[in-house]
Amino acid sequence: MKPSSGKVHRRLHLLPYLLALPIVLYEGVFIVSPIAQGIYGSFTRIDLGSGKPQIWVGLANYARMFADDLFWQALKNTLTISAMVIIVALVAALATALLFNRPFRFRAGARALMMIPWAFPEVPVVMIFIWILSPQFGVANVIARLIPGVTENPMWLQDSNLAIGSVVLISAWKAFPFYSLVILAALQSVSQELYDAAKVDGANVFQLFRNITLPGILPTIEVLLVLAVIFSFKGFALIFLLTGGGPNYATETVILRIYNAAFRFYDYSYAAAMGVAGFVISLVIAIGFITMQARRARELA
Amino acid sequence: MTTAQTTGMAYRPPRLRRAISKTLLYVAIIFVTAITIFPIYWMIVSTIQPNKYSLSFPPPFFPQEISFTQFGLLFAQRPIANWLKNSFVIATISMLLVTALSVLGAYALSSLRWRGRSLFGLFLLVTQMLPEILVLVPLYILYNQLEQLNSLPALAVVDAAFALPVCIWILKGVFDAVPPEVLDAALVDGCSEFSTVWRIVLPLSLPGLVAVAVVAFFGGWNEFLYASILVGSTELMPASVGLTTLSGLSGVLVEQYMGAGMIFSILPVAFYLSMQRYIIAGLSAGAVKG
Repeated sequence: MKPSSGKVHRRLHLLPYLLALPIVLYEGVFIVSPIAQGIYGSFTRIDLGSGKPQIWVGLANYARMFADDLFWQALKNTLTISAMVIIVALVAALATALLFNRPFRFRAGARALMMIPWAFPEVPVVMIFIWILSPQFGVANVIARLIPGVTENPMWLQDSNLAIGSVVLISAWKAFPFYSLVILAALQSVSQELYDAAKVDGANVFQLFRNITLPGILPTIEVLLVLAVIFSFKGFALIFLLTGGGPNYATETVILRIYNAAFRFYDYSYAAAMGVAGFVISLVIAIGFITMQARRARELA
Repeated sequence: MTTAQTTGMAYRPPRLRRAISKTLLYVAIIFVTAITIFPIYWMIVSTIQPNKYSLSFPPPFFPQEISFTQFGLLFAQRPIANWLKNSFVIATISMLLVTALSVLGAYALSSLRWRGRSLFGLFLLVTQMLPEILVLVPLYILYNQLEQLNSLPALAVVDAAFALPVCIWILKGVFDAVPPEVLDAALVDGCSEFSTVWRIVLPLSLPGLVAVAVVAFFGGWNEFLYASILVGSTELMPASVGLTTLSGLSGVLVEQYMGAGMIFSILPVAFYLSMQRYIIAGLSAGAVKG
């Protein structure tokens, strides 16, 4: 939109800055400034209980972090859990999107049903799954016992390996409908003419998928992959309420580690140092996302 | 080879072939949908059937008997009405703040060309991607000093800060769809920038505004992390935190526990589903075309 007269033009000159200012200030006060304080706090010792002044300790918190096995374990847990959640969620999303792209009766209704896990708040999702996985009465045990050799109810959230598996499946269940809907939108934007032309040439279903569908949705899947990394790195409430990071730190991600340091052990300065590590990680992912978006915008232009 | 394949296919009676593939499609769809919504189904079953059925093993897959008395008991015996009221206060404050601010931001991003525009967009994208926990520790220390712990508005303003970037993207997408000729015509006719937005852009963007209000409201309603740390008193506890304390209370039956979860979820699920098109476009900020 181009302003047409000189008067309008001058007025527009200041307007965007006036509009953006309150937002930048708001996010500045509630997000940027706390993060800056967190960075400062990571070089100090904070003792809230005794009212002792904050003292400068240099890199002591960071030295501790690099020597802390639990921090490295949390980093490893974040990587493995995120990788598994992303793979499971994206594969489920692709499969369901391909399925729901076919015409069938009640498609709109079935799609709405599929979106329910995404629309559900995290706290009740955890309540449902704690009940479903209850070692005594949980309905998941009925299904597990159908597997030959399973004679006892599994300790879904109390055994390390099963807890990781449960957390991954529950997170993927909650996340995949969103990815599925985005892939579905991409599928519907692939030109029908390409399919028609390929069918005339005698292409089979797999050739159609490999040569037309996949290239058509690949840019979307790339973006979703980065978004999925961001979402799973940020995730807190689901894992925290399911396992609290246990058993024996098996599901403690970096985010949970920060929480536990700050609010279970009141170790604020150490939590701040790990927070800076978390900040750097999210910045790197964010920059990856933004460069990818910029590249796509250039390709479209 | 191509010809052989086509003739081979033509040999099978096409009607039977279509019937088989149609049936397979429906079986697959029913299977996938059933697995996906089973946990929700189970929540409903565990709510409406009396406790004794839920506490038998193996539990029956279909409700054997239906009762609704637990909802009354839940409100009578547990502070759930108070929790929901607190959630409502937080959500409303966050919604009002975010809706007002996102109109400003979305208009600056969508309709105006200015030098800081892409920088502003980058700023929003980055804030949107930061984990909430990073802000919580310093904010907790600050609120502690300012004696703002246990204040619902102080909690709501933080929820709003995290909902704002997504909401600006949602609304920007909706503003982008307003034809520029309409705006030009209004400006040439002597409408001020303000009245153009107020009288033309906003009425045309009503669904987007509703979507923004929904995201901001239920962002505050669902939020758990900040609420659990910044509000400690049981009097001011919102439902997202209150629900997690239910399992620790004595004498809470499964039907009450699941019923409380259902009551809490019904509004966000209904509103998110009806506004999903806009919300998903905002969440993926550019990943979806159109």
